[in-house]
Amino acid sequence: MSTSAGQKGEVIVETRNLTKTYKDFWGRSKVHALKALDLNVRRGEIFGLLGPNGSGKSTTIKLLLGLLFPTSGEALVFGKDAADVSKNERIGYLPEESYLYKFLNAEETLDFYGRLFNMSGARRKSRIRDLINLIDLDWAKRRQLKEYSKGMTRRIGLAQALINDPELIVLDEPTTGLDPIGTRDMKDLIVRLRDQGKTILMCSHLLADVQDVCDRIAILHQGELKELGAVDSLLSVQDITQIQAKNLTPDTEEAIRKLIAENQGELVSMDHPTTTLEDLFLSIVRDSESRPGFVSHQEDADQQEEPVAAE
Amino acid sequence: MVVDQSEFESFGSWFYIYMVDFSMLALFMLVGWAILAFALAAIRNSPIRAAKMIAGTIKRAFMVDFPSTSIRRTMAMSRLAIQEAIRNKVLIIFVLFVALLLFAGWFLDVENDHPARLYLGFVLSASTYLLLALAMFLSAFSLPNDIKNRTIYTITTKPVRAHEIFLGRVFGFAAVGTLLLVLMASVSYGFVIRGLDHEHTIDKTAIEWDESTGLGTGKTSLDGYHRHDFTINEKLKNADGLVGTTELSKGHAHNIYLRDGDYIVEPPTGDLLARVPVYGKLSFLDRYGQPSEEGGLNVGKEWTYRSYIEGNTLSTAIWEFENLTKEMFVTTGSDDGVLPLELNLRVFRSTKGKIESRIHGEILLVNPEETLSSVDRFSAPIPFEADEFVTSQVNIKFSDIRRQNPVTGELQNIDLFKDLVDSGKLQVHIRCKDHAQFFGMARADVYIRAPEGSFEANLIKCYLGIWMQMLLVILLGVFFSTFLNGIVALISSVAIVAMGMFAGFIGDIQTGEAPGGGPIESIVRNITQQGATLELEMGDTAIEVIESLDGFYLNTMESLAKLAPDFSKFNMSAKVAYGYDIHLNLILRQLVTTMVYFFVLVLAGYFILTSREIAA
Repeated sequence: MSTSAGQKGEVIVETRNLTKTYKDFWGRSKVHALKALDLNVRRGEIFGLLGPNGSGKSTTIKLLLGLLFPTSGEALVFGKDAADVSKNERIGYLPEESYLYKFLNAEETLDFYGRLFNMSGARRKSRIRDLINLIDLDWAKRRQLKEYSKGMTRRIGLAQALINDPELIVLDEPTTGLDPIGTRDMKDLIVRLRDQGKTILMCSHLLADVQDVCDRIAILHQGELKELGAVDSLLSVQDITQIQAKNLTPDTEEAIRKLIAENQGELVSMDHPTTTLEDLFLSIVRDSESRPGFVSHQEDADQQEEPVAAE
Repeated sequence: MVVDQSEFESFGSWFYIYMVDFSMLALFMLVGWAILAFALAAIRNSPIRAAKMIAGTIKRAFMVDFPSTSIRRTMAMSRLAIQEAIRNKVLIIFVLFVALLLFAGWFLDVENDHPARLYLGFVLSASTYLLLALAMFLSAFSLPNDIKNRTIYTITTKPVRAHEIFLGRVFGFAAVGTLLLVLMASVSYGFVIRGLDHEHTIDKTAIEWDESTGLGTGKTSLDGYHRHDFTINEKLKNADGLVGTTELSKGHAHNIYLRDGDYIVEPPTGDLLARVPVYGKLSFLDRYGQPSEEGGLNVGKEWTYRSYIEGNTLSTAIWEFENLTKEMFVTTGSDDGVLPLELNLRVFRSTKGKIESRIHGEILLVNPEETLSSVDRFSAPIPFEADEFVTSQVNIKFSDIRRQNPVTGELQNIDLFKDLVDSGKLQVHIRCKDHAQFFGMARADVYIRAPEGSFEANLIKCYLGIWMQMLLVILLGVFFSTFLNGIVALISSVAIVAMGMFAGFIGDIQTGEAPGGGPIESIVRNITQQGATLELEMGDTAIEVIESLDGFYLNTMESLAKLAPDFSKFNMSAKVAYGYDIHLNLILRQLVTTMVYFFVLVLAGYFILTSREIAA
């Protein structure tokens, strides 16, 4: 993960005291969806908006895209007011659900959105070909979207967000509806896009997704900004040191325990690390694809190896 | 056929009045929008912020958004609308229309006296109503569905301007409607031509020959629920073999040819016409020959479209025609010409007399220059007989126009253009000759028939009117859908279209021209069984209350009706059905009206779309 770009680059998205209050017809406040949010997203970083449902993540994104109007404060994208349509030339947006026209096929969908960016026929054609290959939907490009699975729809949704080769990509819950492979592909793609110099603003309530890809995050709760900073520094626990080593004998482990005790340290745990379920699943699937018919017996191996309990 | 008085106005004077009215309306709407938008924004924000927002929206509209309109984006939106419409199976409307035509024989009166009118009226009305209904549904539900399904999110987050979204839908649905209209028009044309096509035969043995004149008379075979009387004269046979023409029946006649010893009856002629009437200005002289300010007489009919002149008096109806030239009436290669007058006079009989006999009248061609002596001004009377409900053709040959010599008392020929037409102007005076009988007429009932127009071109002009109605309905539907949900937008469109169709009627009730008062007065009259034309008999206070309530309602309705486009002005099917050419003037007015609503509604739609939160 890169944080340097995020701290030094040009400000792409800026909110100043951004507030959104939903009111009834008579102007009475109903819900304070966002309260005085101040944020900067800089060129070349992946910025994550994190928070539980109803925390104001989607409202922030809708305000930045001009889908909602702020009650007070300002939302600026590329230095322009969010209501200014011309800013959209440089933005790609993937909504929470892929709100696409189901009667179009993948090619027609991308062609339609390409036209909205005033792209020439030749450029559209080449861009559509590249994007369809990128999302691996060449085999289904002539099928109407109503025949697509949720994951396929999500992928074509992403392709439409990239049709204009945007500088800023806004992703609302990008991994929703994707299987673990799709989720990993999406996360890899997000990182790749960042590496190509794109700025990515994403919101998610899936902590693992945010942790995996984001350079900086803002945690929102009940419309208020609770935490803002680089993921590494936010997750780093300064008073705990983690040691990982391979092929230690029980005697060596015992010696380490003693050394920690002699130096007035407190051993919190000493264990064999576990992988994440996501990594395990991906490993199994990839292994299975490379060795058809092979069955892993992880359960038997687990029964033979008792875990080392922490003292 | 009834012709609206406004049709006689020149395009220039109509345009001036219309643009003044429209400018007032546009100003009213702009100020209304600004006040409403400010009020709503001020409720949700502060007044200063509201003012800034409105100023910013207006500035952005004219400085940024309108100048950066993209045809490609707009066409992309149109294409999407077309795909959406076609995949929603709108072409089923065409299938429905064809089904209607296939089973038309079940409900159309095949023995009607004017089958051309009947068929044309039917296909044009069916096309109009089906198309307008489709336009309403398509336009009212599309945008609300996009908002409901949130597909609009992926549009408005692209560099698409609000007016491009609006225009895209309008153009897309108009394209679908145009395709349907072209299909309907093609099928309709075939239906009418095929429906009117028929063949008669003549039984040679049944012809009755007059030895002295050499004329043969008889009846054709019964085909298409009618037969024709005919007279043939073999002595007049020309190179083509034409020997006669049948009498008119069901609005048409047939030429009869003698070929290879057989009498051949050709296909019908005269049922699909595009007569080009040259209208004059109508004024009246009373029974003493004095100019009448009030027009003609009222014979007691509630409908005051026509006035009447009294028979066997000096009561006269005068049409003054302008811009007449000899070339309009003289056929190429001939020195002589014909002044073709057509009369659609009504007859009111105050005595029964011989009910089957026609009422007699006379036509005088008059020089409008009043400084001339009456001897120099008037032609000799040209007699005619009026047929009720039938267009009488009076073709006055130039060589038959005469004047009585004041000295000898003999009739002598005069030159129409030298002696009677003054600076292109000519008066035609019509009098009723029969005592105690009356002729009824309106301005459009007597006209000079200019060279015939093309029926097909006339039909296209009529379809152009339907197309413009469809465009207006689409504009209204899309406009309402920018701020209302689908079903409410649909109802609003229906209400505006209905209001536009009945704008004239609402105006007549409001001004008192249509008797019976407003809705409350009408209910009271119904309950108390009082006739619509009588004074309302109630207490003064009660009448005052009723009239006040009706007045408020009718004023509101009339104001609303003025906002709506007058759809009745776009309906030209009667002209086509009755065989009258649609004047270019009318098409121009419709085009101007459509363009005005187009710009106003696109502008209003833009401001509404940019002022609303799409994701709210």
